[in-house]
Amino acid sequence: MSADLDGEKDERLAALAAGGDRGAFEALVTRHRQAVYRLCWSAAGSAADADDAAQETFVRVYRSLPSYDPARPFGPWLRKIAWNCGLSVRRDGIAGVPRVAEGDAPEAVDPAPGPEEAASGNEERRRVTDAMAGLPAELRMVMVLRAVEGLSYAEIALAAGIPAGTVMSRLSRARTRLLAALGGGS
Amino acid sequence: MDCRETQTLLTAFHDGELPAADRARVEGHLRGCPECGARLADLARVDRAAGVPDPGPAYWDRFNARVMDRVEREADGPGVAVLRPKGGWMRQQFRYLVPAAAAAALVVVVVRYGGMHPVAPTPAVPPAVSEPAAPDSGGQRAAQPEPKTPATERREPAAVARRVPEESNRVAETPAEGHGWPGAGTGRDTPGSAVPAPLPAVADERLVTAARGERDRLPDRPLSEAKERTSRDRAAAGPRPVASMDGMAGTVQGEQKKMAEAAAPAAEPQYAAKAESSSGMRMTMDKSAEAPTAVSLGKTREKGGSSPVASAPSRADSPCELARTLAARKRWREAEAAQRACLAQDPSAPAQEKGLVFLAELLDRQARFADADAVITEVDRQFPQSRPLDLYRQQRPMVQMQPAAVPVTR
Repeated sequence: MSADLDGEKDERLAALAAGGDRGAFEALVTRHRQAVYRLCWSAAGSAADADDAAQETFVRVYRSLPSYDPARPFGPWLRKIAWNCGLSVRRDGIAGVPRVAEGDAPEAVDPAPGPEEAASGNEERRRVTDAMAGLPAELRMVMVLRAVEGLSYAEIALAAGIPAGTVMSRLSRARTRLLAALGGGS
Repeated sequence: MDCRETQTLLTAFHDGELPAADRARVEGHLRGCPECGARLADLARVDRAAGVPDPGPAYWDRFNARVMDRVEREADGPGVAVLRPKGGWMRQQFRYLVPAAAAAALVVVVVRYGGMHPVAPTPAVPPAVSEPAAPDSGGQRAAQPEPKTPATERREPAAVARRVPEESNRVAETPAEGHGWPGAGTGRDTPGSAVPAPLPAVADERLVTAARGERDRLPDRPLSEAKERTSRDRAAAGPRPVASMDGMAGTVQGEQKKMAEAAAPAAEPQYAAKAESSSGMRMTMDKSAEAPTAVSLGKTREKGGSSPVASAPSRADSPCELARTLAARKRWREAEAAQRACLAQDPSAPAQEKGLVFLAELLDRQARFADADAVITEVDRQFPQSRPLDLYRQQRPMVQMQPAAVPVTR
């Protein structure tokens, strides 16, 4: 990301990208790729599908930029696309989302915990991560958006298209299940 | 407040989403209840542990390159025609029209301000074939064009721009379809929408290509440029109702006329009043709501306004008709939804056969090729050796190359 684009707001970058500025588009990718990946993971439930869905998300964003309204916040729009891509991949597998050509297939992503986790022996985190993968997608989504992305209920409601009250109840259910996986809680 | 009530609020309390009054009550309870305090600690513990396995720095090192590679192929390959670099092939296709439009605009200016009464067409424009003006704005524009003031020019694209996010920002699963930029192919924003005089078919292909190129240029550029271009087109079209085709400004027809004159006149019988998609499905414009010509994505031809589309009773309530109408407006996603409703409504075999093929085309136009493949497979399964499918398969590569424009079906 070039320095002059670092300080730009998402909406401004999107407008520049819609005008053909590839640098602005890549800046958006860099800025949001991890959040998109996490959300896709929460929707798709596996690392390999999350990779497909994250790639597809940005391609769809790119296609749709000309019709994006910079007056509206970019984040919820992006998250909605990411979530839909994740669900598509999970639901339809390869057929649901046009995959890249065979030769360009994404590299396998190791779903195992990273070296930091292995080194620290964080068994608890591993158990929660496994339990997260086993959650229903709608619970996983709110959990990721809240606990990982730190979004407010209102932002989660916007991204998920559900009422804020439902966000709270889903979070409560998700945490209860995760606590059970940890062997604690009631 | 008891433990039961506290625990119903504990999630929101933990997330800092409780109103101040409730928050104070929960805090009061927590001070005297170790059990609920332990529950709160559990929530924090889960959140700390919750996460998504990170694929690691090597993955992220390659991520951007992979995305950008796909994006480049989208722009240059058989993807959706968006964000192409300026000066791309579409612009090149229309280089020759710039001088033609400029010349026509000059003629219009001379006619208008030189005291000449604009009765006869300019030499470069073929005679306009009048059609009874529909009681809609497009028809009124065609029949009684008003000189556009700069303010008018500004308002219309702005109105379109306001309309866009309502659809497109909802879920962007589709290509830049239906964004409704002025002049983006429907011809609704182009003055002078009278039916064009028949042209020989040999020239027709060139004209349609030219028209498509002109139309595609607008979504290929920022809105401001599209607006300017539309304004120029309108200015070039002049105040008089002249025939237009496929959203082209009337002045472009000078170029059409030249090409038509250079072409062999043998193809008159092929010049049937049809506006078909590549899957053979006629795409119609609702004449009560749109400009007075039927507008197709590729070729629109009607003889004297007496096409079946024009004379058929209104079936606006039919999802099948709606699907065609939406498709003609390039609102692919909505057309797809309508077409699915149409298929659900009419389970007869012929309707299903043609309808599914049309659905496949709508999916292709959204660059949802895998979905289209699935539909085509279904057609193959249900209707072995389907004629509509065979026809569409011949056209499909062209559709996939140019989702924004329907090639001519002859």
